[in-house]
Amino acid sequence: MPQLIPFYFVNQLSFAFLTLIALVYIFSKYILPLFTFQQVIRLYITKLSNKS
Amino acid sequence: MLLNNTNLFINSPLEQFEVTNLLSFNAPLFGYISFTITNLALYTAIIFSVIVGLHFLGNNDTKLLPSKWSILFESFFASINSMVREQIGREIYLPFIYSLFFFILVSNLVGNIPYSFTITTSVIVSIGLSFTILIGVTILGLYIHKIHFFSFFIPAGTPLALVPLLVLIELISYLARAFSLGIRLFANVVAGHTLLKILSTFLFKMFSGGLIIFILTLLPFALFLAITGLELAVSFIQAYVFVLLVCSYIKDAIELH
Repeated sequence: MPQLIPFYFVNQLSFAFLTLIALVYIFSKYILPLFTFQQVIRLYITKLSNKS
Repeated sequence: MLLNNTNLFINSPLEQFEVTNLLSFNAPLFGYISFTITNLALYTAIIFSVIVGLHFLGNNDTKLLPSKWSILFESFFASINSMVREQIGREIYLPFIYSLFFFILVSNLVGNIPYSFTITTSVIVSIGLSFTILIGVTILGLYIHKIHFFSFFIPAGTPLALVPLLVLIELISYLARAFSLGIRLFANVVAGHTLLKILSTFLFKMFSGGLIIFILTLLPFALFLAITGLELAVSFIQAYVFVLLVCSYIKDAIELH
């Protein structure tokens, strides 16, 4: 039924966007802060080793 | 006769892009509820678990010595971080850009596995993504600059007589971004996958043609392998280009050239 095609599109789009939103949430909350944290640790260690 | 006909039947190279129902739930409740899990939905779930799983694998638990996976993800992080910093100048957009990059990259790479489905070959997903981003960027520009956002459509130093014409042209070029961003991704991936499908159909016919033809076919097969490698490169390049352009659009909305 051609009049139902927009609903198929809504189905596809909602799955794609749900995934993307979930990814943004998980990255910003759990994963990307770890990278920054690790860089901060490395900077701190470099600073410590420069002092001694 | 029928058997002969079925042997001659070659699947369309575009058949791999079809979105098919895997599991449907239809009920005559509240009007008519229809909840369907398609192969696209299955592959979004796979992509999500691959991305999150790999990142937890490369997490390394803040140990100082990096593992192989954490070196990979740290270099991804460093390059995307520097891109966001150079282009936009604000790191608040980093999570969005980072997840957009991995979403497109992993969906392209998962699609390179034979017999799998690529979600970016669904035109509605890639164009929907680019349209949503452009609408979001426009709202961002309107929120930051209020009414001055419309000065974006008038280049500096334009004579007053030319303003209506230039506004029209700039408006069209602004709207064309929404299409071009999605179509670039979609067309590249679809063209590559169609080419691979057509070539592999021919190769299959040639490989099953006899011993001498089999040996002769090894040469075009090497070419086919090279094209597969090119597809892998296209997966990376398209994800990178998409993200780079999104960065420059966000920068345009923030800074108004």
